[in-house]
Amino acid sequence: MTEPLLDIKNLRIRFRSDEGTVKPVNGVSFQVNEGETVAVVGESGCGKSLTSLSILGLVPSPGEVFEGEIRLQGKDLTKLKKNQMRKLRGNEISMIFQEPMTSLNPVFTIGNQMTEVIKLHQQLDKKESINKVVEMLDLVGIPEPERVVRQFPHQLSGGMRQRVMIAMALSCNPKLLIADEPTTALDVTIQAQILNLMKKLKDELNTGVILITHDLGVVAEVADRVVVMYGGEVVEEAHVNEIFDNPVHPYTRGLLSSVPKMTGSVEELGAIQGSVPTPSQMPKGCKFHPRCPIATDLCKDEHPNLEETLPNHFKRCFHMEGGSIYEQHKRETTT
Amino acid sequence: MSSIKEKQLPNVLMEVKGLKKHFEVKKGYFNKQVSYVKAVDGVDITIYEGETLGIVGESGCGKSTTGEMLLGLLKPSEGVVKFKGKDMTEMSKKELRDIRKDIQVIFQDPFASLNPRMTVEELIGEPLEIHTSMTKSEIKNKVIELLEVVGLNSEQLKRYPHEFSGGQRQRIGIARALALNPKIIICDEPVSALDVSIQAQILNLLKKLQREYNLTLVFIAHGLPAVRNISDRIAVMYLGKIIEITERDQLFGEPMHPYTEALLKSIPVDHPKWRTNCEPLKGDLPNPANPPSGCTFHTRCPYAQDICKNKVPNLEEVKINHFTACHFPLKQ
Ligand SMILES: Nc1ncnc2c1ncn2[C@@H]1O[C@H](COP(=O)(O)OP(=O)(O)OP(=O)(O)O)[C@@H](O)[C@H]1O
Ligand SMILES: Nc1ncnc2c1ncn2[C@@H]1O[C@H](COP(=O)(O)OP(=O)(O)OP(=O)(O)O)[C@@H](O)[C@H]1O
Ligand code: SF4
Ligand SMILES: [Mg+2]
Ligand SMILES: [Mg+2]
Repeated sequence: MTEPLLDIKNLRIRFRSDEGTVKPVNGVSFQVNEGETVAVVGESGCGKSLTSLSILGLVPSPGEVFEGEIRLQGKDLTKLKKNQMRKLRGNEISMIFQEPMTSLNPVFTIGNQMTEVIKLHQQLDKKESINKVVEMLDLVGIPEPERVVRQFPHQLSGGMRQRVMIAMALSCNPKLLIADEPTTALDVTIQAQILNLMKKLKDELNTGVILITHDLGVVAEVADRVVVMYGGEVVEEAHVNEIFDNPVHPYTRGLLSSVPKMTGSVEELGAIQGSVPTPSQMPKGCKFHPRCPIATDLCKDEHPNLEETLPNHFKRCFHMEGGSIYEQHKRETTT
Repeated sequence: MSSIKEKQLPNVLMEVKGLKKHFEVKKGYFNKQVSYVKAVDGVDITIYEGETLGIVGESGCGKSTTGEMLLGLLKPSEGVVKFKGKDMTEMSKKELRDIRKDIQVIFQDPFASLNPRMTVEELIGEPLEIHTSMTKSEIKNKVIELLEVVGLNSEQLKRYPHEFSGGQRQRIGIARALALNPKIIICDEPVSALDVSIQAQILNLLKKLQREYNLTLVFIAHGLPAVRNISDRIAVMYLGKIIEITERDQLFGEPMHPYTEALLKSIPVDHPKWRTNCEPLKGDLPNPANPPSGCTFHTRCPYAQDICKNKVPNLEEVKINHFTACHFPLKQ
């Protein structure tokens, strides 16, 4: 098998303070291949953003990666020096955020900002880089790119700004693109445009993509593979069809049945009881056990490992062998 | 869930006619000239007793502004809002106060809408203290009862909002809204800020309460799947106008307005096997301070003809109980 583009192994991040240490990311492993879109899903605070920031060496202090490896084509990024990391950012790895306004500079034109980025990483003169900018803006579907080049961020709508961000992120042909909730702040018709764009670019550019989202609809729409996180851990990972057809972790199942659907009959939603834990109140044993419908004493005491129980399908749960116990539980509670 | 058709002769609870809200905005710092944002621009809605009416649309289309006028919190620029046949804009202060008991609200951000210095007991008890003559102990008992109704418990009486999770705070907000046995609750994006698993809890709770108390709900949201899950009828808004309104399954099965059709196609699929490569709706939402002429959707509409640029289409009943504002309603 060929080497994955990105290989994260047992990543752990901690924050130390006077009140003690919290580990909001505590054992995350997954891989991204070239041209593949991996969705990282989970509810607020489960560690999605921190995981992605750690890839770029941007975990905010006092946070730190204290264990694990992040390998980009074999090279361990956690071992890189600050200036080596800076060179990598925007060049080999790019990132787009939920709110594009926070990463665009309001006092410079779009053209200025984009040529800056391009000149930083590629040997192009002024004219060439402007041409490149126009070409990129055109690629992401911005009408009249020659005009937009001269505009300031506030003159653009939210959807246009997100397109600019994507164009900027892609302008140096990164191997890996990290998109953290890229459509969450957008209206649905604009979201559809951006998702459509991401699908097209994936086919054209062969970039590996990590798509962070809490929206399972977005996952269904664009992901190839899915990593489900809960409480700072990966609890399930599989191909997107497998996740939707045959989810085995009780959390994944709960999540899927919580989502209101656009088709089929309108039923009572299968809500997960309780609430999402914060890192400081993380239970021992399986972190999902207080909310899990099939938890046993074992789950309260022991911590399950992430295991490949079906081919290319990983889960972190003691009881779910192909879902049989869950089905049994469901039968018992519904009859 | 029963549709309103099955109930016999639904009673009209609220009625809105020709409702408008135009906000004044200054053009520039020195420019004295004012212009208007037509936040709500001619809305007609009938709300039947016991139904859940969903209002959907993208940001800035006027959903919250409509909600505030239904609540009597915002004075319409034009039009009438009737509660049980009486025009609220012509009511005396006292009449309005009485009616406010019957029309309650639940907001998107439960944290911002709950006073951080009040305990849960005070928060839920406050409307009872203001509007009823109940004694302290009666109030306390009622508050405990309400907490149980929304899935909290009496041990939490003395706690403050910050000690609760987002979903629990929304439950507190719901308990507070229920305290005075209202006829109708306007829910403005009540689940938008919540995690998926918590959204489901709150949607289930609202549906249960709606059934048990025969409440009327107006459910405002931009998320169509959630609106589909809870609503009997759905109104779709675009730039201050209702462009389509009908029963839920009818709207999803046979959308008649091109915008509704596009909106439905924009929603991500339920399952990866249903992905399509269909082209999404082009263009951005126009600026509500300067809306397009004629049908305001004509700038993005794939079916637009010349007449659409010039003539505003009226909201008309094209099929029984199915209203749409389009010169060329879609035929399935
Ligand atoms: N600077 C910090 N100090 C202490 N804890 C932090 C810090 N930054 C993040 N955390 C904690 O780490 C956890 C994970 O945060 P992260 O931002 O990765 O979550 P997320 O999965 O991206 O959530 P969301 O969906 O809300 O964006 C959170 O519970 C958060 O409270
Ligand atoms: N007080 C105000 N002054 C000026 N303009 C306003 C005011 N309140 C709302 N608007 C404008 O009126 C329009 C409708 O706003 P409204 O809040 O009703 O939209 P909405 O549909 O609830 O949007 P969202 O989904 O973002 O909540 C928007 O363009 C908004 O900017
Ligand atoms: S009236 Fe015209 S522009 Fe408006 S939605 Fe109908 S066809 Fe499209
Ligand atoms: Mg995040
Ligand atoms: Mg609103």
